[in-house]
Amino acid sequence: MKQVKINIVKLLKGQKPGWVGISPDFKKILVWGKTLDEATQKAEKFKEKIYYFPAGESYSNFVGIIDYGINNTL
Amino acid sequence: MGLTIHYSPLPGLEKTGVLAPMIPVTFKNARREFSTIALVDSGAEAGIISTVIADKLNIKWRKIPAKSGFSIGSNFRFHPVDINAQIYDHKFSLKLNVVEGIFAFKCILGRKDLFKRAKICFEGYKNRFEIIFREFN
Repeated sequence: MKQVKINIVKLLKGQKPGWVGISPDFKKILVWGKTLDEATQKAEKFKEKIYYFPAGESYSNFVGIIDYGINNTL
Repeated sequence: MGLTIHYSPLPGLEKTGVLAPMIPVTFKNARREFSTIALVDSGAEAGIISTVIADKLNIKWRKIPAKSGFSIGSNFRFHPVDINAQIYDHKFSLKLNVVEGIFAFKCILGRKDLFKRAKICFEGYKNRFEIIFREFN
């Protein structure tokens, strides 16, 4: 079975806010643009598939988190 | 085709230990293509994309009558669209919902789309999930 590892934190570390184009093996950033349009334009020279993802965002509202706090119990 | 995909940490959540099941996906609308990384959400009734992603795919979502939806956080307006998608070698069509006013990165695949196309086994104790796409004749 094919194994896929994507570490978005590692990929986006130190990136300026904007959009990045990620290599198909999810190991490096190939392009960066302040906007998605800028990033896709820069990516035109690449033949491989590029995955776009915003950089400089907090993704804390992507997934639901319940913070019970240190002194709270269920 | 089967895939084992390891959960990914998310920026802003490193200290929480939260890891997310993410999957690479390419959406296709006529000649436009857009590849991104989507959240696999068994709690989501249907998939969603942001208006930024919809615009990149040249989806004329403003011309599609809006409907109302709700999530745990709030209500939202969305525009349903039919679109094609590809995950590695597996191609399929699905109905996605273009949601107004959400973060640009938001792309979620849910029960009415991805979960109807594949057997998905979450292995939280291994921080990964397995996905095996169904074969259709």
